[in-house]
This record gives sequence, C-alpha cells and structure tokens, in this order.
Amino acid sequence: METTVTESLLPLIGMPKVRHYEVTRRDIRHFAQAIGEEDPVHFDEDYAKTTKYGAIVAPPLFCQMLTFEDVSPQQLPEDGSPIEIDVPVPAHRTVGGGSSYEIFRRVRAGDRITATSILRDVFTKEGRGGRLYFIVVETEFSNQDNEPVARETATYIKRV
Amino acid sequence: MTTPIPELIVRPDPMQVFMFSAVTWNRHHIHYSKDAALREGLPDVVVQRGLLGNFLSRLITNWVGDGAELRRLAWKVTRSAVPGENIICRGRIMERTEAPDQKYVVCKVTASNTNEELIASGDAFVIFT
Repeated sequence: METTVTESLLPLIGMPKVRHYEVTRRDIRHFAQAIGEEDPVHFDEDYAKTTKYGAIVAPPLFCQMLTFEDVSPQQLPEDGSPIEIDVPVPAHRTVGGGSSYEIFRRVRAGDRITATSILRDVFTKEGRGGRLYFIVVETEFSNQDNEPVARETATYIKRV
Repeated sequence: MTTPIPELIVRPDPMQVFMFSAVTWNRHHIHYSKDAALREGLPDVVVQRGLLGNFLSRLITNWVGDGAELRRLAWKVTRSAVPGENIICRGRIMERTEAPDQKYVVCKVTASNTNEELIASGDAFVIFT
C-alpha cells in the first residue's frame, strides 16, 4: 500500500535529537568574524574582563553554530541542505523562511552546550509559483548547569 | 510616533557568505555554488537566513551597547540577498516601558537593498539591565 506524505512525516514530528558540544574561544572568534562583528568582547580576554560579562562572550545568535548536525556529506540530501529538514515532501529546492530566536544568556568559552532539535511541524500552501512546504524546526540550547541558553524556531521553505 | 534607531549598512561579500556557511556547517549548495544557485532559479549564491538575522542582531547591539541585552529576535526573509550588494538595516522603537523592575523596548527591524526592496523584516525585544 502506498504511504501518503502525511503518513511518512508523522513519525518524524516531535522526535528530539540531542547533541553536545564544548564551545571554544576559537568558535566565538570565528562566529564573530563570520557575522562581521568586531566588538573586542568576542576577541580580547583582557578587554572582556572590564565589561559586565567579565570574560569573552559570544554574539547573541551564536548557537546557530550548533543548529545543524555535522552528519557525513553522504547522509545529506543532494543539495547539501541540513539533515534537520530532510523530510519526505515532494519538493527539493530549499530556502530559509524565517526564525524566532530567544536569548537567555550569552555563551562563554568552555560552556558545554546541549542542543536538542525537534521537527515541530510540516505544512503546505499553494504559492504563486507552485506548492510550498514549510518545515518548522525548534532547537533548544542549554549549558552544563542545565540553564537555558537559547531557543530557535526556524521555518524553512521547500518548493518543487 | 515611533523613534528610529541608528542604521547599520553591511555589504556581505562571497567570503563572508562562505565563512557563515563554514561556521554553521551549513553545506547547502545555494550558498557556495553559483551554478547550483542559478539552477534553482536564484540570481547568484544567496545570503543565509541566519546571517541576515545576525545583521539585524548587530543593528540592535550597536545601538544598545553594554546597557541592554537582546532577548528575542524574530525575522522573516522576503527576498534573496546576494553578495556584493549593500544591505541597509533599520529599526524603529515601537514600544517602550520604564517600569522600575523591568525596562524594555520593542523595535521593528528591517533589512533592505539599495533599491529599497525588503530583504527581511521582523522585531526585536530588548531588555535594559
């Protein structure tokens, strides 16, 4: 019997995937450089000690560095789009639609972050150019003290 | 009446788009392969949704400095941005409260290209510490 799109998606929805990562000063430096941020609080330990943080901290959206799992390239779909949105819908062109990102505390070097990602929803709409599939992924980040660090709910759009 | 905050103008180049994909380990080919981007109907490699969010985050942190924290940022991409074009990030204070136990501000934020076409828009919730 043929499985419908809905039937093949249902088991994937709500299944958490958990990963752990230890943040380094280098990670913070690289993320800051990548976003074009030059604030010395992300680079200079001596300067950072004089700020309210007391140490180097990452930019607010830093946990995006940990959102996509580093699965082997062979496990990714052909376009290389993230495994988190590799869901069985009949559409293969992907763009990022939007995000809602909450920041609870700034990440510091040495933090051991736990990232839990969950496929929250998949829904579809008829767009101007054809059918669109919206894929909603929520990722929660917490640290070694079980304190919430950030939460992102990102929506990706796949089209035929 | 709403109050504007200082603008931020950025100009992502191909290296920046590459660095952001690298640092987020995003291997989606529309961000590094112009051929692949064109095959998908895009004009060039495109700036990541995540990187656009960071430009909006910088708009806010440049404005508030050390005195406040960005507590929430929500944004939606309306148009692809490609490397080599200016992105003008703007914000307007829509709501503010000076309650003694919690001072916060809500801003509407936008990112547009030089043709004033909207690339992304959203809102930022900032808590003053």
